[in-house]
Amino acid sequence: MSMTTSATIILAAMVAAYIAAKIFKISTELSMLAAALVGGLVGGAGLPARHIAEGAFTYLDICLIFITATLFMNLLKESGGVAFVVRRILKRFHKHKFLLFIMLAVLMLIPGMLTGAGSVTVLIVGGMVATVLGYMGIPKPKAAAIVFVIAGLSAAAPPVSLWAMLTAAGVNMPYVGFFLPLMIPCLVLALLTIFILGWKSKPVDLEQALKELPEPPARMNWLKIVLPFLVFFALVIAGRIWPFDFPIMGLPLVFAFAAAITLLLSPVHIDFLDVSRRTVHQLLPLIGTLTCVGVLVQIMTLTGVRGLISVTVVTLPAMVVILTLFLTLPVSESVLMWGAAPVLGVPLVLLFNTMNLNPVIALAGMSVIWPLGDAIPPTAIIGRLTVETVGMKERYSTFLKYCIIPAVLIILVGTLMVIFSKKLAFLTVF
Amino acid sequence: MIRKTIIITLGLILLVFSGLSFYKSRHLKEPVVIGPGVTQVKKLSEYFPAIKGSANDANVYVLEGAKKGGALLVLGGSHPEEPAARLTTWILTENATLEQGRIFVVNSANRSATTVTRPSGAYPASYTIKTDWGGQTFRMGDRWANPLDQWPDPEVYIHYPTRQNLAYMDIRNLNRTWPGRANGTLTEKTCYALVELIKKENVDIVIDLHEAELQYPVISTIVSHQKGLDVAAMASMVLSDEEFKMGMEKSPLELHGLSHREIGDHTNAVPLLFETPEPFLDATRGRTDEKLLLEGKDEFVVRAGKRGLLFEKIDEKGWPIDVRVGRHCSTILQVLDVWSQDHADKAVALRNVPKYDEVIKKGTGAFLRDPSKADPKLIYYE
Repeated sequence: MSMTTSATIILAAMVAAYIAAKIFKISTELSMLAAALVGGLVGGAGLPARHIAEGAFTYLDICLIFITATLFMNLLKESGGVAFVVRRILKRFHKHKFLLFIMLAVLMLIPGMLTGAGSVTVLIVGGMVATVLGYMGIPKPKAAAIVFVIAGLSAAAPPVSLWAMLTAAGVNMPYVGFFLPLMIPCLVLALLTIFILGWKSKPVDLEQALKELPEPPARMNWLKIVLPFLVFFALVIAGRIWPFDFPIMGLPLVFAFAAAITLLLSPVHIDFLDVSRRTVHQLLPLIGTLTCVGVLVQIMTLTGVRGLISVTVVTLPAMVVILTLFLTLPVSESVLMWGAAPVLGVPLVLLFNTMNLNPVIALAGMSVIWPLGDAIPPTAIIGRLTVETVGMKERYSTFLKYCIIPAVLIILVGTLMVIFSKKLAFLTVF
Repeated sequence: MIRKTIIITLGLILLVFSGLSFYKSRHLKEPVVIGPGVTQVKKLSEYFPAIKGSANDANVYVLEGAKKGGALLVLGGSHPEEPAARLTTWILTENATLEQGRIFVVNSANRSATTVTRPSGAYPASYTIKTDWGGQTFRMGDRWANPLDQWPDPEVYIHYPTRQNLAYMDIRNLNRTWPGRANGTLTEKTCYALVELIKKENVDIVIDLHEAELQYPVISTIVSHQKGLDVAAMASMVLSDEEFKMGMEKSPLELHGLSHREIGDHTNAVPLLFETPEPFLDATRGRTDEKLLLEGKDEFVVRAGKRGLLFEKIDEKGWPIDVRVGRHCSTILQVLDVWSQDHADKAVALRNVPKYDEVIKKGTGAFLRDPSKADPKLIYYE
């Protein structure tokens, strides 16, 4: 039997196992694990304990960043810092829609930028931003669409962009030069999204809004909010300025330091153990997904399925590949979540490299498109989370309808970045 | 409760079986039966005591000729996932003799990296080279040092001393941390120790053995520092004319951390890096197993080649390990031949190392010695 035939059979068995698991209402992460185990069995590897365990550890560092960064954000929320910032923004800018939208968009970008997870943006600031948007007369499905799209862009934004990091690691490419190619489109598209979808909003009823938003503790002030961020950036920058004298801390420990500062400065008592427990509970589906994606990718590599997908993608006509990115990237994300990056992203970057395109810009363009898949079933984790957080009662399709215009813009920008990546290479300065 | 018990039990079973496999491969003993040419076996820490007792305190096999001459350092295992490199050093340490000069051989330059395999890479834990006496098993290894020995990584790796930004995990990549740093990470300290060896032993040539995926443009070639271009060019011409096609490339001036750049810039030695093709490393590879590693045959890589995506030819014959090891052996011999002709006072006359045709004909295993029949005093472990 040829390698193509054998890998196709294994892939078919894995897809069947995934679908069957979903039919039995098994979670996406366990469905991926089931697909991996079936792949191992059909591929003649049995139940390879070593490969399952090794694959599960693939994204350990990223999981640690996830946990510590989200703990930091949750402590900030518990201390009343997030409510303080939202209320201050509202008080200061409620008469200036233009500035208010800019502030809200930036506020939503920060948690995802730092953690690489759109879900953190939704959980930390999504609900409060939706409340503010509600006071501006924006219907809930539209507010949900704004929160979801910007949350996705925040996840793609630097410094932590998981799609770019995972793909870059897969092709032995340094995760360097991505800051501007990711930051500029994410910021511009986030602003476009909030302005386009919020265009017909009315001025905020400040009194009513402040009454309903959570009250921050009396002793909360800007210093207590800014200081943990300053510590975070100071530690990161110190490692860059004095790399040969400053100890290597790793991002998880840096986030842990920022979290500790937040805890120490909090004007209210925080039950640290309870917040930690809730943080881990909140992140379990995401950590589970990353763990199972690691196992899935390992088994796909072991059995040749990953090679089959890679070689099929890289041998397609180049223009067909580029012009169908709008479909392949979100669909792969909806099925594999971040697993799409090593499975599909790696061969695509290799193909673009051989086409003489700039791999950093092209990958940044793809990374902007990928998060759109988080609203599409079967997973739709971030989409569902957003709808629940915002408290939307309308049909899910209404929310999706409002996502279409920003999605088209994102796809357009991402695809153009791939096509014109060579001309945009000047952006890869740091 | 029953559900939880089942999940915990399955988790424990997975833990035990995978843990045993990891423990076994990390502690797999790789014997080296030193040949008649080896006069001393040193430890790398003798050149830089700070790495004593660490995972990277490698063995340094010293071969000395009766006649004075030049000195050569051969590095295997800079990237242990490239097995032809390490196997070539085994052939040298177990077979070679010297008439003139000195040779220092390090079989496991990044020993830590030999004790780990790559998550998501699905590498086999080990591989076995067939011999007349059964076979010898080697640890598979990875490109980067084991995180158990060096962790965490920075978010960006800043190379010493140039401050060039590199991928975060490359701080564990021995071929990105040259010339090393005395108070740096384990991998940086290892490079520092090797540079100390080069300086203290007045090494003239350093050969860093590697393998490359066929999708990588630097393949089937000698990469040379500008100091060694004449030697590399002549060796490549003779090899291409007499044995197999071999390229030659100049080490880029602005790409830092690599042996062919930094050793040349920071020591008097001439660094050369050899690359052979290893389809096992290609991202489009099919089933990932020991067979692919040793036979180098892969239908998907061939397909990528037909689409013009590769920088080296491949057909259904693949790139077997004997071909790759044979290329390294012949290239070493040819480089020394050219060097010795040009530098009579610093000549290195190496004998009893098989050439390309002989390795292919007899197989790599024919040049590995049976440790069960050897004098225990001659056995060292990597």
